[in-house]
Amino acid sequence: MSAREPALSLAPDAVDLAVDFAGQPLKSPLLAASGCFAYGQQFAEFCDLGRLGGLVTKGISPLPRHGNPAPRICETAAGMLNSIGLENVGVDAFLADKLPFLRGLGVAVWVNFFGTDFETYVDCARRLSRGDGVDALEMNISCPNITKGGIEFGTVPEVAHRLTRACVEVSARPIVVKLSPNAGDVVAMAQAVAEAGAAGVSVINTITGMAIDVRSRRPRLATTYGGLSGPAIKPIALRMVHQIARALPHLPISGIGGVMSGEDALEFLMAGATTVQVGTALFAEPGAIHRITQELRDLLAELGIPSARAAIGVLQPLPAEAPIRPR
Amino acid sequence: MPAAHFTAATAANRALGGGYFVLELEAAEDTPVGAAQPGHFVMLRGEWGRDLLNPRAFSVLAAPSARRFAILGKIHGRGTARLGALRVGERVAVTGPLGRPFLSPRPGTTQLLIAGGVGLPPLHMQARVAAAAGLHTAVELLYGGRSAQDLVLLDQARDFGVRLHLATEDGSVGHRGFITGPLLARLDRAREAAESVELLACGPTPMLAAVRRIALDRDIPAQLCLEENMACGFGVCLGCAVPVHGPRPYAYCCTDGPVFDAREVRWP
Repeated sequence: MSAREPALSLAPDAVDLAVDFAGQPLKSPLLAASGCFAYGQQFAEFCDLGRLGGLVTKGISPLPRHGNPAPRICETAAGMLNSIGLENVGVDAFLADKLPFLRGLGVAVWVNFFGTDFETYVDCARRLSRGDGVDALEMNISCPNITKGGIEFGTVPEVAHRLTRACVEVSARPIVVKLSPNAGDVVAMAQAVAEAGAAGVSVINTITGMAIDVRSRRPRLATTYGGLSGPAIKPIALRMVHQIARALPHLPISGIGGVMSGEDALEFLMAGATTVQVGTALFAEPGAIHRITQELRDLLAELGIPSARAAIGVLQPLPAEAPIRPR
Repeated sequence: MPAAHFTAATAANRALGGGYFVLELEAAEDTPVGAAQPGHFVMLRGEWGRDLLNPRAFSVLAAPSARRFAILGKIHGRGTARLGALRVGERVAVTGPLGRPFLSPRPGTTQLLIAGGVGLPPLHMQARVAAAAGLHTAVELLYGGRSAQDLVLLDQARDFGVRLHLATEDGSVGHRGFITGPLLARLDRAREAAESVELLACGPTPMLAAVRRIALDRDIPAQLCLEENMACGFGVCLGCAVPVHGPRPYAYCCTDGPVFDAREVRWP
C-alpha cells in the first residue's frame, strides 16, 4: 500500500483484527500488559475479558515475593513511576490458584516470568511452560526493580543470549523476551535473543527514572528509582520497535509503551509491531482495551486498511527533498 | 460489594473555603456507589487526556440516591485543583465503590469517630448512617484541624444529633491543640464509667499514628482508615502497600483496606 494512494473507507465490521504472533492466532492485536492486569480476576467485574486479544500476567518468580516498601508509585508528567518490587504469588500458587481462571477466558495467555539468577530463570521457564492453558512465556530480563544480580541479563547481549537459549531449551511454549529500554543497544539485544531461539520480543519495559519531593527533600519512591510508564515513554518505545523491525523484519514484536488510544496502537503496528500491549491506561480505565480495540477498528476502516495484519510495518518514508541545484 | 466503572456528570460543586469542596456527581443510571458504606472509596478522573494519568481516591461522603454521590475534597495538587474547579455538567470517570468499609456500631459500645481535616468523609458518613438508624447516641464525632477553616460540614454533623468534640491547633474553635487532647479526656471518662468504646479514625498519618498508639496502650479496639498512593484502586497495580503484621509484610490499602485494625498495622 502506498502512503499517497487515496484510501476508500470500509465498514468497521469488515475490518479483520486477527493477527498471528509467532505462529499463534490471536483474535486481536491488543493484549493487557504485565503488571497492569495482575492475574485478571479483578477485571472481570468491569469488562468482558473474552474480547481481549490476550493478556500477560504479573511477572512470576519461582518463590513468592513480597515487594518493596511504600511509596511504590508516583505520578509524573504524562506518566507514572513504579517500584512495586516484582511482588507475585510464585510459580506454585500461580499454577494452582491463578491459571485455572485465565485458561477459561478463551484468549491468549502469556505468562511473564523472571528469576533471580540463571538457574531460577530456567526452572521457572520449565515449570510455567507446562501449565495447562499457557500459550507463551514472556521473559522479563529487564525489570529495573530487582537489585540482586540480573542487570546484565537485560543489558549485555551475550548474557541475554545464553539465558534465552537455556530457557528456550527447557520450555514447552514459545518464549517472548521483554527487552529493556535501559540497554545500550536494543537492536543488538533483540538480535541476541532472536538467535538464541526467542519467538519474539516485547518492546519496551519501563524506563528507569526518579522524582523528588522538594519540600521534604526526599525521593518520591521508597527505592529512589523506579520504572517510568505511560504516554511519556511512547515515542521512545515506538522508535525502538521501529529500529528492531527494520533490523530484524522476521522477528515478531509486541509493542508496549503508553498506548491510550486506537491511534496509538496503530502507530505501533505501522512501526512494525504485530501485537500491542496496553498497560498503565488500565489503571484509570479498566475497560481501556475494549475502547482502544473499537477505536483501532474504526480507524483502520476509516483509512481503508482491511485488517490489522495489513497495517503491520507499513510505515512509509517521507518523500525526499529535491536536490539543491545552482540557479 | 461489586464495583463498577462509569461516567458521571458534575451535579454540584460547592467550595467550602480553605480549599475544601463538596463535589456531587450523578450518573445516568443507578450505580453500586449508591449502596456505598462509610469507608468505601471511589477513584475519580476528569477528562484529562494524557496528563494527570491516574485517578484520585476519595472516600464517599454521602450517597443520597442510587445515581448520586458526594465526596469531600481539598485542593492539594493539580488533580484536586481540577476536581475542585469542575463545573456543573462536566464529566468524571468513576470506579467504585472500592475497599472494605468501617464496621457498624455494636450494641453497648460507643464508637468514637476521630477525624482530622480532609479525613472527615467516612466518619461523617458513619455518623449520618448511625443517626439514620436511630443510633445517634452510639457514636460521637471528634474532629480536629489546623484552624476553624479546616472544620467543615459542621452544620450537617450537628443535625445528626451526635455529640461533637472539636479541636483546632490555633484554638480558633474548640480545644486548642490536637484532637488527641479531647480523645484522651473522653477515654478517661469512659474508663471511670466502665464504658465500652472503640475508635474509628481517618486523617493525616501522624494523627492516625497517635490514635493507634493510644488504642494499643489502652487496649481499645481501633479501626484506622488509611491513605496510600494508588494508581488503580482495585488491587492490580499493587502500588498502595501498607506494612502489616502477619504472614505477609504488606497488605494493599485498596482491597485489604482502606480500613485496618490498628493492631494489624506495622508502624513504629
